[in-house]
Parts: sequence; C-alpha cells; structure tokens
Amino acid sequence: MNLAKKEPFAIGFIILLLILLPFFVGQYTITTFIRIIYFGFLSLSMGFLIGQGGLVSLTQTAFFGLAGYVIGLMNIDHGIMFPWPDLTAFVVVFVIALFFGLIAMRTEKIVFMMITLAFGQIVWAFATQNTSIMHGWAGIRGIRPYVLYGINFNDTSTFYWAALVLFLSGLFLLWRIVNSHFGLILNGIRENPRRMAALGYPVYWIKLVAFLIASMYATMGGVLACYNSGIIMPTTLQLSRSIWVLLTVILGGSTYFWGPVVGVVTAIWLDVLISSMTERYNMVIGILFLVIVLFSPTGILGMLDAIRSGHKLKFLSKFFLPKKKKID
Amino acid sequence: MDIKFVFLILNGLTQAAILFVLGSGLTLAFGLMRVVNLSHGAFYMLGGYIGYSIVKATGNWPLALVAGGLSIALAGFLFERLMLVRVRGGDLPETLLTVALAMIISDLCLVFWARTPITLNVPKYLNPPVTILGVTYPGFRYILMGISIFIALSLWFILYKTKLGAAVRAGVDDRETVSALGVNIQVIYSAVFVISALLAGLAGVLGGSYLQLSPGGDTTILTYSLVVIILGGMGSLLGAVVSSLILGQIMSFGLAFAPQYSYFLIFIPMAIVLAIRPQGLFGRKI
Repeated sequence: MNLAKKEPFAIGFIILLLILLPFFVGQYTITTFIRIIYFGFLSLSMGFLIGQGGLVSLTQTAFFGLAGYVIGLMNIDHGIMFPWPDLTAFVVVFVIALFFGLIAMRTEKIVFMMITLAFGQIVWAFATQNTSIMHGWAGIRGIRPYVLYGINFNDTSTFYWAALVLFLSGLFLLWRIVNSHFGLILNGIRENPRRMAALGYPVYWIKLVAFLIASMYATMGGVLACYNSGIIMPTTLQLSRSIWVLLTVILGGSTYFWGPVVGVVTAIWLDVLISSMTERYNMVIGILFLVIVLFSPTGILGMLDAIRSGHKLKFLSKFFLPKKKKID
Repeated sequence: MDIKFVFLILNGLTQAAILFVLGSGLTLAFGLMRVVNLSHGAFYMLGGYIGYSIVKATGNWPLALVAGGLSIALAGFLFERLMLVRVRGGDLPETLLTVALAMIISDLCLVFWARTPITLNVPKYLNPPVTILGVTYPGFRYILMGISIFIALSLWFILYKTKLGAAVRAGVDDRETVSALGVNIQVIYSAVFVISALLAGLAGVLGGSYLQLSPGGDTTILTYSLVVIILGGMGSLLGAVVSSLILGQIMSFGLAFAPQYSYFLIFIPMAIVLAIRPQGLFGRKI
C-alpha cells in the first residue's frame, strides 16, 4: 500500500524504463507489454472490487468483451469511425453494468459471486448462440487502430505508448479513488456492511458505484484489447478467462493496491514461458492456483511483506502446522 | 394437443431429471457448508467420462453408473479431507480451491479422453420404446426420470428421517450449537461433501447418456447447476426440484422455437426471481 509514499523515485524510474522500452526490446516484448496493459485494466477492475469492496465479481470479463463487441459491430459492420464506437462502448457497458449491478447488489458474498458468474455466462451465451447480430462463434475480425491527427496507432510502439499513458492515468485515478473518502467508506463496507448501514451510509448505492467504476476499467481494457488483437470472439467472454483474471488478482495479492498489477505481469510472463514448454497450460495454472491459496493466500506481495518483516517461512510453517481449528 | 408438444414436454422432463441430480448436490453442500463448489461441473464431466470408459470396456451401463458416482464421491472425499479442510471458514479461499480443482480436472479429461463430443452407449435392453397413451418415447428416458425421482426421495429421506439429516439441518441453522451438543461437525461436513460429489458423478453418467460430453463442457454444466440453485433458493431441496422442472421445460421449448437464444433464455427466470426475491423461490435469507 505504502509503496508510492516510500518509494516515489523507484516508481519514477520504472515509469521511465517503461517509456523507453520500445528502444531496447523487440516487437514481441512490446506486444507482450500491451497484453499486460489491457489485461492489467481488467485485473485492476476485479482487484479493486475484491480488495477495496470485498466483492468478488466474475462479470468483469463480460464487460471487457462487450466493449470489443460494440467497437467491432459499429466499426466493421457499420463503418462508423472514431470516436463514436469507443464512446458507445463505454455507454453500453455502463448501462448493462447498471442493470446487472442493480440486481446483483441485493445479494452478498458468495451468492454475489455466483450471480455475477451467471451474468457473465448470459453475455457469453448471447454472443455464442446469436448469429444474426453477434456472428456466433466466428466473432468479428479486422478491427484496426486508426490514424489520428497524423499519428499512426497501427505502429506497435505508438500503440504501446498510448496504452501506457492510459494505463498510468488509470492507475493514478484509481489510486486517488482508493484513498478518497469514498474509498474509505468502501473499505468500511467490506469489513462490516451492517455497521456502515447503521452509520447512515447508503451501502447498496456505494457498492453499485464501485461496481460501475470497475466496469469502466474493464471497458478500457476491452477497447485496447480489441484494437490490439483485431478480433473479438466469444472465447474472450469465457468463464475460464474470468477465472484467469481472478488468479492474477490472488497471485499478486488481492488486499494490495499493486496486487493486480504484479499478478498480471507475473501471469502473462508465466503464460509466455509455459506455452512454449507444455500444452498443459491449464493444469499448470490450476496447480499454481492451488499452491497459492493453500500456502500464501496473500499472494506475492503478501509473501514479500512477510519476508521483509522477518517472518521468512511463516507462510510455509502455517501450512504444515495448521492452527487449532476454530468452529465457524 | 399437438403430438410435438407432448414430446417437447417429455424432453423437458428428461432434462429436468438431469438438472435436479446436478443441482441437488450443489444445493446440499451450499446449504450446510456455505461452500459453492465450482468444480461441480468438472466432477460431472469426470464422472461421465469414467462411465463412458466403463461402458466401452464392459458394455455394462448400471455398473458405469455406480462406478462413475462412487469414483467421484472418492475424489470429493479426498479433496475435502486434504485441501478444503485447511481453508475452512474463508469464503474466498474455499471457492478458489474448487476453481483450481475444476481447472485441473478438466485438463486431465482432455489428456485421457477424446477431444470430440461423445455420448455413452445405452444398451438395448435399457432402452425399449415405451408407449403411454399412444405416445411412443424412448424407455431409457423414463428410466432417467425414475432414477432422478428415486434420488429425490432418498435425499428427502436422509435429510428428514435420519440422524445424519437432523444433524445436517441443525448445522444449517447453527453450527456452533450443533458441535457444542456433541456432534462432530467435521464428519458431517465430509459426509455432505461426499454425497454432493456422488450426485455430481451420477449426474455425469446420466447426463452423458442423454446429452453429450464435450471438452470444455464443464463450465456450461456448472452454469446450469448454478442457475438451478439460484432460482430454487440455495440449500433448498424443494427449490431444486421446482427450478429444475421449470428450467427443463424452458430448455426444451427454447431449443425448438428459438435455437439462437435457447441458452440465453434459461437465465431469464433467474434474473426475474433475483430482482423480486434475491434468496430464490424457496430459499431462506442468508
């Protein structure tokens, strides 16, 4: 949490490195970083809800994919140019998120998770089965970035810089939201919604606003993703994708602001590494998931924290010497 | 009435039979343990595949049903004892563990079984054409419905007529008091999780004989079972019965009249019920 306060120079240095990156590395690395950025938005979206609000939402990937669909449909099928498809994407996702949120916020905890899972599946089902509007399994191909004001975003480096600027501003904005009065209330709701309600806070509406903020981050990721890959298909909306994003959040450390970012960077590089070695990608990811939940539920950042504060092997000993079981 | 509608209703009932076996396991585990087992779909698929292999090797369908169910029950037992017990009480870690298990199982299925959709072969003697009131319908589907009704009755009997069931129902209301009264709640947890896994395995063999088993199908199955228990109310056996009957008909008629939206349609009753009654048709406030 206090990374930014303690180490502003380190952050400045990292940002500088990221800006200069295209001068040092090849096309493939840059593309990987673009992937990190758009999945980073998605992971932030989910991580914000889990870490700050205690809301595990599996609908975020649907928003991510919907943004791509709106752009694909307007741009490719109807030939409408920037900025209308992109703006419409945000508006459409906002309206759908509002609708889902109004229903889902009536429930709590694990039930909320199941309902958001079902909502994600609704969108997936619609995109898969509907051939007249959504093109079914085939999806929409050929989405290309534009040339705007003489800048050609088809160039990988230019696209990377644009995405980086958006990502850094998104991070900064989220940082402000988390540390604002609103963020504090949200944390209060995560800890004890009944008490917050008793104190007079409109718990339902605050959670809904958080949900909408998160949906906008997912949309931003989706917009970048569809321009970068040039294709939008129902596979983007699959449950396995949501679960992968959830993994990145847990991997990094869901209670930390930087958790989703650390998680996504690690997961994407693991992805690159594993895919080149074995076909059993899902198996490896599943086992990784098991190990994290059992051994280090606070993720990579939690592990680093434990090492820094001297409890080097606490997370290991905790597993082999389970605490005396409490009932409930 | 048009004969077509009779067939559609019968198809819907067959579908409902499978949905019930699937959903009742999940709702049972949720009611007591507050664990949403997201590997339920993967359990179903693994059970179905094991049943498929046994039918292929021996041709004995009843054996496949028993073996498919029991092997998944064993898997569930091991998972509960070795993993789930370590993170008991934490909503998120418990759910995440089941997610991880689902990923591993579905990838294992890809390793050992076909990448193309398969269906279990039902022997002829189990599938005679049955004519009731002038309507001829495959007998095996009546057997499916019968098995489902039998399972519903046994679950009802276990829950309401046995000591185990009494402990389970008491545990749903107040775990602490139950354990203070000298009931070993950990054992009850294991028992319920094993029954839940058993039901998923059975559903896999039943469903695999009527529908298809396909790679990646576990998420679809998981969604079906979630919709069943969200609609019916989590932890409610009656809710599972009613919602699977409703959803079975919607799936059957949807497939016939609006194939582009058939999967989409099953979510509509769920959304309506959630908006009016978030705890589901027969659920209690959690």
